[in-house]
Amino acid sequence: MERLKNWVTENPDLSFAILLSVSVYTFFAITEPLFFTHRTGFAIMERFAVLGLVGLALTLCIIAGEIDLSIGSNAALAAVVTVRFTDDWGAINSLLFALAISTSIGAIQGYFIAYLRIRAIVLTVGTLMLLRGVALFAAEEKTVMLTDFRIPDFISTKMLGYFSPASLLVIIMFVVVGLFMAFTRYGREIYAIGGARKEALASGISLQRPMIIVFAISGFCAGLGGVIIGLRSGTAQALGLQYLLLAGTVAAFIGGVSILGGKGGVVGAAIGTLTVNFLNTGLVFNVTPSFMVQLYLGILLLVVIMFQTGSRVFEERQRRGQLLDDVDRRRSILSDKIAGLRRPSG
Amino acid sequence: MTDVSASTGNTPNLVQRIRRDYSPLVIGMVGLFLLVFVAGAAFTDDFLTWFNVKTIIRDAALVGIMAIGLTFVTLSGNFFLLSMKEIAALSIICFATLMSADWNQWGPVDADPTTWSLFMTFLVAFVATMIIATIAGALQGALIGLGGNPIVVTLGAAGLFFGIGSWWSDNLVISYRRPHGAEWLGTGSFIGDIPNITVAFVIIAVVAELVLRYTTFGRQVYLVGANRAAGRATGHENFGMAIKCCIIASVCAAFVAVAFSGQVSSAHVNYFSSEFGSSGDMTIMVIAIVMVGGNSIMGGYGSTLRTSLGAIFISSIDNMMVLNGFNSGARVLAVGLMIVFSIIVFALVRRGSRAVE
Repeated sequence: MERLKNWVTENPDLSFAILLSVSVYTFFAITEPLFFTHRTGFAIMERFAVLGLVGLALTLCIIAGEIDLSIGSNAALAAVVTVRFTDDWGAINSLLFALAISTSIGAIQGYFIAYLRIRAIVLTVGTLMLLRGVALFAAEEKTVMLTDFRIPDFISTKMLGYFSPASLLVIIMFVVVGLFMAFTRYGREIYAIGGARKEALASGISLQRPMIIVFAISGFCAGLGGVIIGLRSGTAQALGLQYLLLAGTVAAFIGGVSILGGKGGVVGAAIGTLTVNFLNTGLVFNVTPSFMVQLYLGILLLVVIMFQTGSRVFEERQRRGQLLDDVDRRRSILSDKIAGLRRPSG
Repeated sequence: MTDVSASTGNTPNLVQRIRRDYSPLVIGMVGLFLLVFVAGAAFTDDFLTWFNVKTIIRDAALVGIMAIGLTFVTLSGNFFLLSMKEIAALSIICFATLMSADWNQWGPVDADPTTWSLFMTFLVAFVATMIIATIAGALQGALIGLGGNPIVVTLGAAGLFFGIGSWWSDNLVISYRRPHGAEWLGTGSFIGDIPNITVAFVIIAVVAELVLRYTTFGRQVYLVGANRAAGRATGHENFGMAIKCCIIASVCAAFVAVAFSGQVSSAHVNYFSSEFGSSGDMTIMVIAIVMVGGNSIMGGYGSTLRTSLGAIFISSIDNMMVLNGFNSGARVLAVGLMIVFSIIVFALVRRGSRAVE
């Protein structure tokens, strides 16, 4: 119990995320009789496969103090490329090709952001449009489709109760990235350039390496998400998947990242994504139209941001007040001393 | 180059000034761009006709007005609003709902409506739309001004506005009958054969430029954008500035929504999304125009004149590609290339001259 209390005081964001996620799940489990079943668990894990990847990618970017807006376009491009070439090359080859493309797009973005020293949002809003154009080009402005539907069937086979090959792959991805962020020097460098960029650069960390790694992982995750969506549904649209950005950002922020960077982690990303998934799935049970889901997600994001900004402003004000108090106290001590010095002579 | 002018005693001529102010790389890249443009203009049939020029400017007008609004936000150092198209979607739903509302028919419903009743209907709907847009802008501006990241705030607000718009309209198309009071704005023309929306674009561009150059507010926008600390030290907090700029951007988006609704006599939340139009969604188009026009995305440098020219430039490239039979993929790709190109040129120009944030 004592240890739990310590853990909660050490990780307030994470415990808040767990609390939110559990309460959302409990709410729907009580109100919807079908929610607390094995099938719904499987459906939630299936959603987790895609949204988790995007949430993970955005979490890493935000930890590094940047945000990758081109994630939806990157995913759409990967989906289009995979679906288009699967018939000719086989699923594995086209999948690897799409992943290579999206990862290198991410790495190139990271290189340019570090080299030009610009904010990532500036460059990625450009690549958002550019990649959309490339995807339209690759799909020849059509909806590309698979002809062989054994692959979609394989991807959503049920194994181990709640999992499919796709969601197992994503969980492995989470574990690998989590170990990478926690136990390697490169992972710590990412936290460093996010939390305190000037100090990190002054202490000799290059900006380029962490940026390239972050955006390569982000591109890889986006690509993998796109590949899973494309192969699972058997179709891909060049202009689709733009909703991923909002859902992924909400997931990342519920998971406890700070917009200033350097905070949060992979566990938070997983919990944040699960919360969004519970909400999504539960609302589907209520026959909520998709735009209402978007509305709820928007409100959720605004509330989280308001909360974060408010606490930051409050802290700043408190710190300023403390500083002023400190100055006053010192001044009064000083004036006492001066008075003490003057008294004997006067 | 200053020593040349000093030794000869003359003010530097144009070529010298350009060589002094810009690096060779930038001159080369912009020159290449101009070359492509001129070659395209010369070798495309029917490009340089009066009719086509009119078409280009009319196409540029809608996105251009939105981009002029967004320029204020960008100049004040608040990056950009990712919710431009959602504000427009909410506004177009509001406008069309009120235009087709039963109680909003000023005059006999069965008989031919008079000009006066049409105008009153339009006025009520227009004013309500503007109020909604102002509220939307003020909400976002307040959150941004309190210190929220503009991108994340407007991403959330985008979901919110789009949801409200869809919910209000039940995700259906709202249409209203012609003749209606917004026809003059959408498709009419008062001056010869120049569409009114083009005239509105020109007027808004001129007014915005005058406001930015010659009023106190305009100078405050530049100050807050260029140096936030100096702005705060002189009593110009970003809080009020963000609210004002976001309201300007939202009102411009709402105006575009009203004009577009007047053109098609209907409304749907997806009218500004990529699913509807062929050349990408409106938000990214607008941001593209602001960037390609050559405004610094970090704020404090640029003007609405650049934005207007950027709108006309993108529109004419688009037009040229359409005339040469390119599909939408190639056109979106071209606009994307233009944005990335302008970002890189801008970063290279500014590198070293500005502290890393």
